[in-house]
Amino acid sequence: MRKPQKPFYFNTSEHLLRIGRQKAGTLSELRHAIETCPEDSIFQHTFRTLQEHHFIRQGFSNDFAHWSLSACHEPALAEQLASVDVREFTAIEGLRRRMVEIVDEFLQSHERSGSRPASEPFYFCASDIVVLPTAFVPDTLKGFLDGINQVSVHSIHHHFIEARLRIHRMSNDFSQWLEEEAGLQDAADAIERIDFYTNTLEGVRRQIAGIVSHAMNN
Amino acid sequence: MNLDDPRAASATPTVDLQPSGDSGNGARTPVTPYPQRRATDHPVARHLPASILSPPTPPPPPHLDDYQPIVGQNQLDMLRYLARELKGKTIKMVNSTAVGGGVAEMLNRLVPLLSELEVPARWDVITGGNDFFEITKAFHNALHGASYELTKSAQDIFLMYNEQNRERMQFDEQMVVIHDPQPVGMIRSKEKSQAHWVWRCHVDLSNPDAKVWEFLRPFVEQYNSVIFSSQSFARQLPIPQYLFYPCIDPLSEKNKDLPASQVQKICDDFGIDRSRPVVTQVSRFDRLKDPVGVVKAYKLAKKYVDCQLVLAGGGASDDPEGAVVLQEVKEAAGDDPDIIILDLPPWCALEINAIQRASTIIVQKSLKEGFGLTVTEALWKAKPTIAGAVGGIPNQIVHKLTGVLVHSVEGCAFQIRYLLTHPEFARNIGVSGREHVKENFLMTTNVKRWLLLFRVLEKLKDRNSSA
Repeated sequence: MRKPQKPFYFNTSEHLLRIGRQKAGTLSELRHAIETCPEDSIFQHTFRTLQEHHFIRQGFSNDFAHWSLSACHEPALAEQLASVDVREFTAIEGLRRRMVEIVDEFLQSHERSGSRPASEPFYFCASDIVVLPTAFVPDTLKGFLDGINQVSVHSIHHHFIEARLRIHRMSNDFSQWLEEEAGLQDAADAIERIDFYTNTLEGVRRQIAGIVSHAMNN
Repeated sequence: MNLDDPRAASATPTVDLQPSGDSGNGARTPVTPYPQRRATDHPVARHLPASILSPPTPPPPPHLDDYQPIVGQNQLDMLRYLARELKGKTIKMVNSTAVGGGVAEMLNRLVPLLSELEVPARWDVITGGNDFFEITKAFHNALHGASYELTKSAQDIFLMYNEQNRERMQFDEQMVVIHDPQPVGMIRSKEKSQAHWVWRCHVDLSNPDAKVWEFLRPFVEQYNSVIFSSQSFARQLPIPQYLFYPCIDPLSEKNKDLPASQVQKICDDFGIDRSRPVVTQVSRFDRLKDPVGVVKAYKLAKKYVDCQLVLAGGGASDDPEGAVVLQEVKEAAGDDPDIIILDLPPWCALEINAIQRASTIIVQKSLKEGFGLTVTEALWKAKPTIAGAVGGIPNQIVHKLTGVLVHSVEGCAFQIRYLLTHPEFARNIGVSGREHVKENFLMTTNVKRWLLLFRVLEKLKDRNSSA
């Protein structure tokens, strides 16, 4: 462990929801809309929806999976879509392609499902993002831990989940800072392994704090 | 249903109220004392305590710091940061009523909070004669899908009052927000103003009467942007459309925390036995809220689980159809002493709050719904909630995660049985439901959305002018 050279700037992001032009009433329409919608719609219905539902421990992954189950009654497709981990993608295009592939594969083996009307349409949305600073700009590990414990869960989401789209790395801002500034490779790796699909964001916060605290004491 | 007393609306120093005296939906109604005949002689309709027969004095509106224990300091810091860049810029809100109705209720809270954040908001109310408000009420119903014969005369009256109001108003602010169709014609002042013009539509436009919509659409398309309460309420328009969920105020009489003793006293007053499960629906006596369906679901469930049913609402005294529906509910209830029907005056927000808090389960089995703020209220109280999958309700209830959605009497009955016999599951969805409201449907979130929109529009303007 070494003294960080640069401070960690805790930011947070707020989102203004826009209603998009695409709408899907069947799975075939969903597939087409996923393929053609703007990138910020894919972001909204995957990364961003996780933030909106951060308090749910399990059973919620992304809006496409949720709609496939609740409106199309296709549990197999819903499971496959829900299994897509946004952390495997550093760019929205890759995530979009994966979603399209899953729906394509499903429709090839379930032809009639493609045109069956859903019980309610899927409305594509997007969001305008405003990134805001917070009062937390620590340049010590203790200050970093205080920040982790005190910032909003939106800030945790911003640095832990959305980060990879910004830094285009299979990592997150916390791990990157701990590794590069404090030389805490193990802590950085442990944080990257936290499963946020089976946790609330508060749970994620507690785990990060636990890992940092452990690293400080060893 | 607006269970807050319309007369209790609290004006703030920064609000320029010009009450039009209309009831929120366009119909002008004189303010009269609540009828004493509430205590009916039907076996299941309860006598109301004398304490609620006249409206209470409204409490003062809260300040931003009052929300800190609920949403946390981070949220308030974020609002102040968002507002800092907008400091001194002003907003004008225009709607058609100063008292009564959800829009006025929301503006009564929003306007002072924005002003406290040093983004002064001025609230103007349009005026009009009975002829205008009869037409706007008909427009409102037609936009919800009712058939309506739009005449040239109706169009002329609508435009005449819009022009009269437009001529007497100044639009010097940086953002002008016109609420709902009644004042939509104010947009004709856009050319002379520097403001961002935003149309905030609280109405479900998913299935409007074509002629009324075609009449209004040219006005709407002149705005810079439009806001809807649900993605399903929107139309295809050539301007950006934003999604602002309606919100509740956690500090209002209807939603604030109550001492256990007060909840108990109110239940005692109404004869609600808290030693046994209580299933409640809060809504006016309206067929679209399906109160008879709720009675049927309760009766099906009661074969297996012990419970009481409370149907708490209003609207039967000033709405002839409401009185008919209330009668239908009483007939469906029969002589079951465990069905408690409360036809409450509109100012009984505190009593409704207590009943919701005393409930084991809350039901909102609507057949058609706007956003469904009674669902939001139930979720805020961490109550396991069963609701019809209509209108804006699916935005609030993620099935089996923040509540349960139903599509039939039988489905509702099953979920009552299930939730009463699986208390841990019921508790978990209740807790998640409250978090969902905290994240998305509170007044502070609404303030945040307005600040975000203002910032985004200002940035767009800067970009356009530098280009």
